[in-house]
Amino acid sequence: MSTDEWLHALAAELRRRGVEAGAVVAEAASHLRESGEPPLTVFGAPAAYADALVDSLRTPRPRSHGPVRLDVRGVTKSYGRRRVLTGVDLTVRAGEVAAIVGANGCGKSTLLRICAGLEAPDAGTVHRSGALGWCPQAGGTAEFLTPDEHFTLVGAGRGLARPAARDAGRRAAAGVDWDPAGAPQGRHLSGGTRQKLNLVLAGLGEPDLMLLDEPYQGFDHGSYLDFWAQVWDWRDAGRAVVVVTHLLAAADRVDTVLDLGGRA
Amino acid sequence: MKVLTVAEMALREIVRRRSVLLILALLPLAFYLSRRDGHLGQSIRFVCLGIGWAVSTAALFAGNAARGLEPRLRLSGYRGRDLHGGRLLALWVLGAALAVPYFLLILLDDQHPGIRYASVALILAGVVAVAPPFGLLLSAVLPRELEGTLVLLTVVGLQMLVEPESLTAKLLPFWFVREIGTYAVDLTDDGYLRRGLLHAALTLAVVLVAGTAAALTRLRIRPPARLA
Repeated sequence: MSTDEWLHALAAELRRRGVEAGAVVAEAASHLRESGEPPLTVFGAPAAYADALVDSLRTPRPRSHGPVRLDVRGVTKSYGRRRVLTGVDLTVRAGEVAAIVGANGCGKSTLLRICAGLEAPDAGTVHRSGALGWCPQAGGTAEFLTPDEHFTLVGAGRGLARPAARDAGRRAAAGVDWDPAGAPQGRHLSGGTRQKLNLVLAGLGEPDLMLLDEPYQGFDHGSYLDFWAQVWDWRDAGRAVVVVTHLLAAADRVDTVLDLGGRA
Repeated sequence: MKVLTVAEMALREIVRRRSVLLILALLPLAFYLSRRDGHLGQSIRFVCLGIGWAVSTAALFAGNAARGLEPRLRLSGYRGRDLHGGRLLALWVLGAALAVPYFLLILLDDQHPGIRYASVALILAGVVAVAPPFGLLLSAVLPRELEGTLVLLTVVGLQMLVEPESLTAKLLPFWFVREIGTYAVDLTDDGYLRRGLLHAALTLAVVLVAGTAAALTRLRIRPPARLA
């Protein structure tokens, strides 16, 4: 791997991790020029070096004081005799990321559907403010529509004209390393690509509150990192993001973790 | 405009299911040909019922296929009536596209010059109007396609088999086909036409109101209150 290739790969890996690459890459390039050593010898693989850099740069993030976008109080939900949620509270403000974690079957998706208003709680209250972006765990796309048609359809709901919706969708898709121009109908997309479409649709029209239910299913490692980079971008843009996950590798970088524990 | 976007995309989805479209297009023809030998009146009634069945089935499947996407659209700024209305509009267009060629077939397959063709057109218009909201109503209350299909099969089967003067026949959604069909083919008095039109109008009103209410209930977002 040449120095230029290595630097290019490092920049890509840093971007995936939500780190501004310019200064870091310039510093690494300067060091390599001065040492004359091969980059793999000096720094190791780009991905591993990017991980090390991110760890060293990580600092506690001050809590946001933006307006409350989601306020859940005392939510309880049962299906028949099975209690799924008991007295759940969650508050998420603009510019914050909340993660809902827990074992399979502990009620994460149910809570998110209640937050979205798609299901009613048995007890408790949910208040939302602002436009809502929704990324379900399954479904959420049409078998017989192309990605551009999805952008048009969802964009029209947000008041976007066709070209604006298509351009916004394609731009957002580039953020998760996907080019949807000319892509086939939903039924012909791979599972991971379809999930990228699902994610892009959730962010279309820049909603204030994003509710994402394990949106990275089927993603490869690079796409998984792209996803979290996208989440940090949304947070930095002042959006409130709620992510349901059972794989929280980035627990220290979210603002709130709601652990629903084991199976209900 | 949102309703037109939903209608356009729903139509795109439907026309891309080519094998389904082909079956839908040929099903009424099978009904028509089954009674064509010496029973033109019956063949006209049957083809109209066939179109009603085909379009109702298309509506049932379109309604069920949309279930995965509709919560997202509802949360993306669409009202329930945009989604239901758009899908209904698309299915009305599909129904009309299916009915017009069959009307031409009846017109050109002229064995009985005395037939009141304008009344045949009225039957087809009634079928095209009633079948989509009827199919969407079934999809709203019966989320599994097999259940909805069996109900449709029962309705159309009963429509063909039960005594037309019985209360059961009159409670079925396509009774007006037989009534107006009798007026059109057997050249009976205006009473048949009036009863048929009244039945079609009442059926349309019932399936529209019930279907819309069921769809809006299914697509409602809770709670309506938002933070200031």
